[in-house]
Amino acid sequence: MKCFDLLEVTIDHCIYGSATQRAEIFDFVGRIPINAHGIGLSIGTDVPLDLAYLDQVAAIVEQLHAPTYSEHLAFTRVPGRDLANLLPLPKTVAAAESIIAKVRTVQSRIGVPFLLENISYAFEWPDSNLSDADFLNLICRESGAGLLLDVENLYLNAQNHDFDAYEFLDSLAPDTVREIHMAGGIAISDAGLQRSFLADTHSHPVPDETLDLLEYALSLYSPQTIILERDDRLDATGEILADLERIRLCVDQWSKHV
Amino acid sequence: MDRQTRLLEYLTSGEAIFGDVGSRSRNPLLQGFDRALLHIEARFSHEKRMEKIAAVFPKTFALFGDDRDAIVREFVHACPPVDISRLENARQFYNFLISRWENRPPALRYLPDVTTCELAVAQVRIGADSPLAVAKRPTHKRPARNRPSEIRRSPLIALLHTRFDVRPIFEGKWGDISPIERVVPLAICFRGGEIGIFELAPEVFDLLAALDTWVAVDELPNAKGLIADLGEAGLLEERR
Repeated sequence: MKCFDLLEVTIDHCIYGSATQRAEIFDFVGRIPINAHGIGLSIGTDVPLDLAYLDQVAAIVEQLHAPTYSEHLAFTRVPGRDLANLLPLPKTVAAAESIIAKVRTVQSRIGVPFLLENISYAFEWPDSNLSDADFLNLICRESGAGLLLDVENLYLNAQNHDFDAYEFLDSLAPDTVREIHMAGGIAISDAGLQRSFLADTHSHPVPDETLDLLEYALSLYSPQTIILERDDRLDATGEILADLERIRLCVDQWSKHV
Repeated sequence: MDRQTRLLEYLTSGEAIFGDVGSRSRNPLLQGFDRALLHIEARFSHEKRMEKIAAVFPKTFALFGDDRDAIVREFVHACPPVDISRLENARQFYNFLISRWENRPPALRYLPDVTTCELAVAQVRIGADSPLAVAKRPTHKRPARNRPSEIRRSPLIALLHTRFDVRPIFEGKWGDISPIERVVPLAICFRGGEIGIFELAPEVFDLLAALDTWVAVDELPNAKGLIADLGEAGLLEERR
């Protein structure tokens, strides 16, 4: 525990997890700062939000004494079908307006600031006509939501979809980024693709390119927390601790620079 | 909404996951998407789902042998995902297998028993970890000497009959021993932090099976010793 400055708890594990899991999570309250992160809201599904779920989230955020609540800008399900995987939304003004209204509902029921996270995505909607940054800026500006910037997702998307990650960072509104996620994934190959596809698996060391992007992001924004996400190959503790050191070094270097 | 629904239908189809021939991709609502990238998304999501299911049925999957790919493919076509949870996906897979085996019995005739036991183990494990169960977990104190006035079967056990004695498979002895064909009344329970699978005498099985609801002990005057033993083994709940 002494290796960590804070923990991020997946809210859905508190809601659906076993009593033992929940007891273990709540045992951390008061011993270390905790961020609250969700995976089950599916804010992008084109139906009204599940208010009962949101009320459960509100109660858990309060129990965790979390300073913020974050969720993914994505959808995972429709009535009767649940992919259990984050899917992108069409990057259009209409989709943004729908999300803005839902963010306001979230903000009215949760007692802490709400942050949206940029996801990694495999495919684009054909009618998308906004850039990733413009879509996020529009939603955050109009709703007051902050951005949980997943730097690894940005790196993967830039590689997979051929855009400039540094331009993306330059385009974000400066006061938008409140928290940062870091992670490492894998390259997967497929007969239908001309090159490997980078997938966000939270299973491997943070790539150097993602650390470079973090360094650049820190020159632009002042996030309150940086979380290293890791939910696979957890026995590789050496890798995880080394990643923490690399991220800390990056933060320290930028602090000295400032 | 309609586009999201069509997209999810496609992403969970065999056509998107395995490249099977189908008509979904011709749906006009899906025009303009990059099919190769949709396939990546579909494959990735499918693999995550099957990881959850395989975690519940490790022995079943190992015993599928060469049938594994065909079974998984049929499952995808028959049962799209409807829930994020591991247990719900496992139940879907179990129901699919049982239905499949009614028409086409598996090469290993004891496989349905193994699968049933694995699902029961998962259910008992989750039940044992429920808030109610944790609150009621025994504390290793000596029980009070007073006789219970009412008893019922512990909600933390599963009872089932198997057609083969598959316990050796769960005791790490598979490969050496082929399960013997005989009807076995089994109890699966969570004791001391571990799952236990053990055979019950038929009359004990019947008694436990009948104790779905609270029953006054006085109604079972001849079972006093048995009730004490079953309570000691954690198979009964008692209240006064």
